[in-house]
Amino acid sequence: MLGASLLALTPSMALAQAKNAAEVAVEAAKKFAGTEISIVWEAGLQSLDPLNYSGPKWEKLTGIKVKVVEVPTDQMFTKIMQDFRSGAGAYDALNVIPSWMPDLVKAGALEPLDAMVDQFGYRDELQDIAAAYRDNQMKVGDKIYGFPDDGDVMLLYYRKDIFEDPKMMEEFKAKHGYDLAPPKDWKQFSEIGQFITDKMAPKTYGAGFFRAAPYPQYMYQERFRMEGGKFFDAETMKSTVNSDVGVKVLQDMLADNKFMPPGVEQWNFVDNLANFLQGATAMTISWPPYGRWAAGYGSGEEALNWVPKTQVAGKVGYSINPLGRPELGVGFALSVSSASKNKEAAYLFIQWLNSKQTSLERVQLPYTLRDPFRTSHYESAEYRKLWPDAGAYLDTIKLSGEKGLLDLSMLQQDKYDEAMSKALSSLFAGTDPKAVADEMAAQFDAITEKVGADKQKEIYQAWAAKPGAYP
Amino acid sequence: MSTDTYGHRLSVFSDRNFKYLMVAPGILILLLVGIFPLIYSLVVSFQNITMTDVDTSFQGLLNYKQLFRDARLWQALGHTALITAIALPLELVLGFLLAQLFLERMPGRQIFVALLVLPTVLSPIVAGATWRLMFDVRFGPIGQIVSYFAGEPVTLLWTVNPSLVYPAIIICEVWQWTPFMFLLLLAALSNVDQSQLEAAELDGASYWRVLRQIIMPAIKPVVAIAVLIRGLDLFRIFDIIWALTEGGPGSMTETISLYTYVIGFTQFDTSYTAAVAFLVVALLSVIVTLVLRRMELVK
Repeated sequence: MLGASLLALTPSMALAQAKNAAEVAVEAAKKFAGTEISIVWEAGLQSLDPLNYSGPKWEKLTGIKVKVVEVPTDQMFTKIMQDFRSGAGAYDALNVIPSWMPDLVKAGALEPLDAMVDQFGYRDELQDIAAAYRDNQMKVGDKIYGFPDDGDVMLLYYRKDIFEDPKMMEEFKAKHGYDLAPPKDWKQFSEIGQFITDKMAPKTYGAGFFRAAPYPQYMYQERFRMEGGKFFDAETMKSTVNSDVGVKVLQDMLADNKFMPPGVEQWNFVDNLANFLQGATAMTISWPPYGRWAAGYGSGEEALNWVPKTQVAGKVGYSINPLGRPELGVGFALSVSSASKNKEAAYLFIQWLNSKQTSLERVQLPYTLRDPFRTSHYESAEYRKLWPDAGAYLDTIKLSGEKGLLDLSMLQQDKYDEAMSKALSSLFAGTDPKAVADEMAAQFDAITEKVGADKQKEIYQAWAAKPGAYP
Repeated sequence: MSTDTYGHRLSVFSDRNFKYLMVAPGILILLLVGIFPLIYSLVVSFQNITMTDVDTSFQGLLNYKQLFRDARLWQALGHTALITAIALPLELVLGFLLAQLFLERMPGRQIFVALLVLPTVLSPIVAGATWRLMFDVRFGPIGQIVSYFAGEPVTLLWTVNPSLVYPAIIICEVWQWTPFMFLLLLAALSNVDQSQLEAAELDGASYWRVLRQIIMPAIKPVVAIAVLIRGLDLFRIFDIIWALTEGGPGSMTETISLYTYVIGFTQFDTSYTAAVAFLVVALLSVIVTLVLRRMELVK
């Protein structure tokens, strides 16, 4: 019996049992030494990971050269689809935004990974990926098409020194009747923001957000759903973003600008970061890198020269967003192109990248934007020592990830995203919130009609049934 | 038929058609380069090709019907017409005034002319990016100058505020392209018959009369060409707006070129984009024909 079982083990399975997923990938990939694989990666800081670290390391370990194809985020979907449609097979491995997966899978552009996951013994390590990402950003239907590789989630950053200032605490409590602490809902957020602005502006304003397109839509998606909004009527597929809740959320978002610094309507990711790091705002919401840079982690890195020197190191607290279900916001998954001529080599590379061992090294690279996404990352003693508050930072990311809300994911999602971005851009330019909501709903309906309401209904219902879709 | 007769006829045919044989390859290449893409686009506009679905079956007027339901398309055309209607006369008038100013000999004239022409040399995307910095609410000198004169901080959101965003685009556009008008009009004014001007001066004609009856008729062909070139450029305006506002806030400054780019190259609605392109070609053909007739450039 034992002999039969042993005989049944293929060499790769035996290897898998002997080593971790990273080592298995390296051993199996050595047979491709001397070849070259390409990987599509977001241009900019993100791509410094494969360019400076993981690519050269993989080549050293396996003899496989990695060609990094840098593509701006908004062109990644297009480039992947163009390569697939042409059949050129120019890309082997891919970075894919999870909300695009239904479109890419429908088109046949992504390779199902289940067989290789089993062949190279990766299934166990996948269980270490935080549930929010593993359960929602890995599969389409019941097949694996990507490995969640970036723990994107929105976090609230606040100035501890201001929130713990005895005089501020006392005056705030006297005025509002509750403690000055990270806001639990958006009403508290507004009251705290206004209070700090009244006390400290123009030196420090209560809060600042990125308001320039396209990022505000992630905050809108979160807030809209947390206030009770639904994107569509699940039966008719008519958009309901212009419901009373939808209009109220837009009104509230617009009203928040009043206690934010002048010109906040123009702020992009970097403007918002710069203002927070220079102490001009007391609260902000953004992705995890803000927390690392605010602590001064990686401040000596040449690649981070553009990040303003932090004036608030040691003064920043981390909290889950108001109402407690933050937007996961974009994220990346590693996939294999179905048009690739080197599928196995590409797969082994992404398994190695995504493995417990390698990914822990990658999420600690100060100059890239990959955020912790595995339980083992959150618990890493090594990571927790990177700066004094790194433990609290990881705890907040873990909590936020567990509670995270998924980005809307439909066929031709990029068009819905554009409609939301345009709507919010109009809102911050002063257009009436009701008109903005109506226009957004009209755009949603037009997209749904063009794609086909029945097709979208199936996709939407599958998405809405996921635990992270609606609170 | 004798061989001689055949040879003679061949010779006559060759002599008569030699010129056509010579230009035939050029015309063939022009047809391939110019007409084939147009015909191919026309075919695509009757299909339903998108990023995710490649349906090359005949779809009839599906995409052309959608043109009439697409409010964003007509808004984009409206924005394009608005920018053209404001920027073109401004560039023409300012260019003419500058040309008049530099018509006279003056010290340092050549240096000033060279400096004036500099914006036109820039790529429009660079001009847009430069003006975006100029208009920046925190670092831009324009806001700082306004605040200085106002005596208090003034927040002017040039690329966000709907009442400022068009002035911002027009300022950038006029800044960059007025020198082009200036150069053309300077050349045209320099060629106005001096004896007629002197005669009019001796006769005591007023400046306006000289302008209306001598200068304008003399420079009219150049003005017509300048207006046509700049008008077409303005209709296709893309770079400056992309750099300044990306069509925002919302779609408030989205022109037809930006909209076509978005649906064609970010959303990859290929067939619909082809239909939009044909609409633009049709509109421009009508407008250009009317303008040419109006300006009596063709008869």
